[in-house]
Amino acid sequence: MSNNDALLEVENLCVEFGDRRGAVRAVDRISFEVEPGRTLGIVGESGCGKSTTSLAIMGLLPRPAGRITAGAIRLSGTELAGLPENRMRRIRGAEMSMIFQEPMTALNPVYTIGAQMSAVVRRHAGLSRRAARRRALEMLERVGIPLAQRRLAEYPHELSGGMRQRVMIAMALSCRPRLLIADEPTTALDVTTQAQVLEQIKALQRDFDTAVVLITHDLGVVAETCDEVVVMYCGRMVERAPVEALFSAPRHRYTEGLIQAIPKIRTRRLTRLPVVPGSVPDLSELPPGCCFAARCAHADTHCLRRQPALERMGPSRVACFHPADAEPVR
Amino acid sequence: MEILKYTLRKLAGGIPLLLGVTLVSFVLMVYFGPDKTWELLSKNPTAEEIAQVRSQLGYDQPFWVRYGNYLRELATLEFGYSDSTGERVTTILQRTVPVTLALLAPGFVLGIVLGIALGLLAAWHRGGWIDRAVTGLAVVGMSVSFLVVIIAFQLLFGVVLGWFPVRGWNVHDLPSYLHYVTVPTLASVFVALGYNTRFFRAVLVEEMARDHVRTARAFGASPVEILRKNVLMNAMIPIVTRTMFSIPLVVISGSLLIESYFGIPGVGKVTYDAITSGDQPVLKAVIGLTAVMFVGILIVNDILYKFFDPRISLGRTALQ
Repeated sequence: MSNNDALLEVENLCVEFGDRRGAVRAVDRISFEVEPGRTLGIVGESGCGKSTTSLAIMGLLPRPAGRITAGAIRLSGTELAGLPENRMRRIRGAEMSMIFQEPMTALNPVYTIGAQMSAVVRRHAGLSRRAARRRALEMLERVGIPLAQRRLAEYPHELSGGMRQRVMIAMALSCRPRLLIADEPTTALDVTTQAQVLEQIKALQRDFDTAVVLITHDLGVVAETCDEVVVMYCGRMVERAPVEALFSAPRHRYTEGLIQAIPKIRTRRLTRLPVVPGSVPDLSELPPGCCFAARCAHADTHCLRRQPALERMGPSRVACFHPADAEPVR
Repeated sequence: MEILKYTLRKLAGGIPLLLGVTLVSFVLMVYFGPDKTWELLSKNPTAEEIAQVRSQLGYDQPFWVRYGNYLRELATLEFGYSDSTGERVTTILQRTVPVTLALLAPGFVLGIVLGIALGLLAAWHRGGWIDRAVTGLAVVGMSVSFLVVIIAFQLLFGVVLGWFPVRGWNVHDLPSYLHYVTVPTLASVFVALGYNTRFFRAVLVEEMARDHVRTARAFGASPVEILRKNVLMNAMIPIVTRTMFSIPLVVISGSLLIESYFGIPGVGKVTYDAITSGDQPVLKAVIGLTAVMFVGILIVNDILYKFFDPRISLGRTALQ
């Protein structure tokens, strides 16, 4: 499954939390690749391991609780898993950057925007104070912040949420990273700002040919921005498909449920939205079989006993014994 | 410019506070304080004699006049003469306040600085054995009474080891100062350090869990840079508050205990003697000046807030 064009390759990544007595596998054998200029979406509900995956790639897992127990993470061929911290530090913010869900708290409140942005470029590009300032200004203008010169001297609390998220994007892309990881970048923003921020990310991605990993639980965002999608459930990858295939022909029953649950304008108003019944099982007590079986209308005894492997189905890959629109596997 | 305006506003805001605090201390200590009339009278005085003495003491004046006199005394730092020694109160203070400051300053500064250092160490290794050792020792330090610490240190350093004097204050140069200040300093550091370490550890742990710390890591900041810019700079508000507000506590309780146990002629000892002998001029001076110090500390505290946190503005609070 190796891909020579891929910028980021994640292979059979496993992340565990806790000590030997009670280790919980938060990410279980996740694999994907992202090519330059492309966007991969990782979707799933809270606690499914999508943020943990992104933190593992950045080498930011909370220590000593979380650790990568197996698998590989390669950024343009360089193995990141197990790389010493001082080498990771030179990569973070320079070759790969990350923006976070909470623009309100992600910036240091006691330093100006200019100081924080300059610190990043000075650290990685070794620019002089003045050149760093110029780069910061240029980046702020690029993400469409009006009166950028004045904003440099302002503190985070003087900016709106959307503005702060744009500052984060400007900062993340100020060293021209080849990979951008965006963890729920628009979740905390209102809808009109969401669209602008996503547009901004896409524009910069085109300009710099950046690969983007977009973590979200919003399928609307996925439909608008992603080229390929990984659907995660309980730390496992249940489906991976090109974005068109995912929406036109969802294969996994969980994906199918998610897509049906998107609120949309219907000719006849529903009395209630379709939901995926049940709730996510506890990660420390996962069933031996398919982890979605307990909530799945199509599950049989086979699903409860054995874990489905990821199988190719048209352009998609799916881990399900009874995928949608298919002849029974057995 | 803005910070100057802020400072002036805070100073102006301190005036009513000052009036309130001095009013309360006046009412409690002077107006309803010890009445010296009967001490100055012979047995079976006549009504005229009583009235004469009361007028000498100024007791017949109306409340506001007496409060005004008290304020004037505070403003001019002229409190009259001590009842017990007849010495001018201002002279007593000039002699004893420097001793107290010299005595307490090293212990106070070391207690804060070491508290922050140990708190940082424990917070950085949170959950590890270093953290457990530091917090465990802090609890031990907190559990021992100040009096026990003083006596134990006096015994250890003064009697058993015989390294340092544990009585008196015969200070005339730096070596003699260090000689006399060491044991009191060790005792007050020992007592303050447990509380300070636990407090600063909690504050720093909270700051280390902030989102912007993770952002800084995600942008390749080094641990030293994160500790300085993200953790310490953001923890300055609680650090400043803690530091400023422990000054009155150290000055009052610290000097009272240490000076009486070490026989050091500082302001704490003078106050203690004045309380036991009802020496009102001295008490008025000490209580009034302590109240003024409190207000001064509050104002300086607010100005330091503004200095460390750009979100603090005049009047309205800038909410996130």
